[in-house]
Amino acid sequence: MRTCVRFAPMIGSKECELPEDEARALAAHLGACPRCRAIARDLAATEGLLGNALMARANSRDFAPFVDQVMARVGARPRPAFEQVRRRPSLLAFLRGHGRLTAVAAAAVVGLLAAVSAFLYVHRSAERPEELAALEVDLEGGNIVLQTSDGPVVLIEPDDETGG
Amino acid sequence: MTRWIACAFALGILHIAVLPALALADVPVHLRVIKGSKKGPAKLDASLEPLKRQLSSLAYVRWELTSDDRRTMEKGKVETVKLPDGDEVMLAIAEEQVDKVTFEVTVASRKTQSKLTVERGQRIVHQVSGEKNGSAFFLTVIAWPDAAK
Amino acid sequence: MNFRFRQPVPSEDDDDLALVKRARDGEVDAFRALVVRHQRKVYAVALGIVRDADLAWDVAQEVFVRVHRGLDGFKGESSFFTWLFRITSHVAIDSVRKERTHQRDEVDEVREIDMEEAGEGILSTGLGSDPSDTLLRRELADKMEAALATLPEKHRTILVLREVEGLSYEELAERLGIHKGTVMSRLFHARRKMQAALRPYAEIEPARFSGGTEVASKVEGEG
Repeated sequence: MRTCVRFAPMIGSKECELPEDEARALAAHLGACPRCRAIARDLAATEGLLGNALMARANSRDFAPFVDQVMARVGARPRPAFEQVRRRPSLLAFLRGHGRLTAVAAAAVVGLLAAVSAFLYVHRSAERPEELAALEVDLEGGNIVLQTSDGPVVLIEPDDETGG
Repeated sequence: MTRWIACAFALGILHIAVLPALALADVPVHLRVIKGSKKGPAKLDASLEPLKRQLSSLAYVRWELTSDDRRTMEKGKVETVKLPDGDEVMLAIAEEQVDKVTFEVTVASRKTQSKLTVERGQRIVHQVSGEKNGSAFFLTVIAWPDAAK
Repeated sequence: MNFRFRQPVPSEDDDDLALVKRARDGEVDAFRALVVRHQRKVYAVALGIVRDADLAWDVAQEVFVRVHRGLDGFKGESSFFTWLFRITSHVAIDSVRKERTHQRDEVDEVREIDMEEAGEGILSTGLGSDPSDTLLRRELADKMEAALATLPEKHRTILVLREVEGLSYEELAERLGIHKGTVMSRLFHARRKMQAALRPYAEIEPARFSGGTEVASKVEGEG
């Protein structure tokens, strides 16, 4: 029992959180002590449950108003979702830094933006802004990824041969 | 070096003999294939209501459910989803944490692969076919669907 | 087959730092994206500590307001995630500080008497060792929040920081301002109390939790 008092608090330690001699002694103790093995088993049986339970509660709550409330408190007005569609600044920085490629890159960007425009339905956000998830468009690569607060929406490249 | 050996030894005993339940659980997923059309009248199947905010960002106005499946996925195992046009989409879990999971979505016929991370409650909407006659197919993936209700 | 590999969500930390930089430059949408990305987890951590859903909502809001206020001072020496959740735990603990003053008699050290009530293995016997048995685990998961609420603040806090935020012993010691040894013994007490709170649920209807013969035969024997 006296050694259990020493080792029980170590049960549940993660990789290399214990000094090597302590880790070795704990392993030896667990091999010989049914009580501490039972403690370890109980701990393992409930592993992850607390995190899952709290995240499930968080996920079951409607967070739609949360971000607007925060933005109001920090003094920023919420903007209609469609206005939030923007390119990443890093792309512009890249183009500025590669002058000789600018024309080609600009053409590519225009093409991609045209593709975005072709896919996006232009809403009058004032009519039903609450129905749109916040959008952020990722233009990297051929596919278009709309990062929304509800999850990503991926649009593949238009198919030339289909004419679509 | 001895420190690492000691750690490995201790962890070996913990994981093999004592803590078999530490492995991450499988991930239940709700997979649906939906067809989006640009031609109206506008319609959204009632079962697709939770996807409304994502779908309403797109140019398609008519959304119909074409297949609905619930599966349990494990990391490294590839799930295949058949599309109405005969193509296939492959889905695999690349990474899993307590509250988020990273999927690899491979559309073989389009030779594209996306890695997408979603938290519990979020959903993936992934176009999986080219647009033909104003219509295209999309795969929607909801991990831990019970938490996403 | 030459697939193009794309990772629309790159390294989360890099992404956070890029958003922080843009937010610091005055880009409102970048800060908005940071909030959306982390709001639920901040709320979950706050909920675990403060127990009340509405108070957790207020705490989470206050956290992001303080983050916004502190953006200029964030140097990126730690990850944004670490910084964000350091603020979260401080705000959450502050909001229940009154509760803490009534808990001075809660000892951290592990004594022999504590061992007498530990190590019964009831939860593991009831739940089995198969983590994929999600139905059985879900039954108990439903009780976790109520069980957590029965714990004193300092035990709730250390459990949530360890199991939801995933802090190491060293990080817990730094965050809570206590020694590593105290972290370990406090965690032991917190887990023991949590298991004690869960035990009735595992014992009331053992057959529902067992899924195996060991517990079923035990029940028959007791009957």
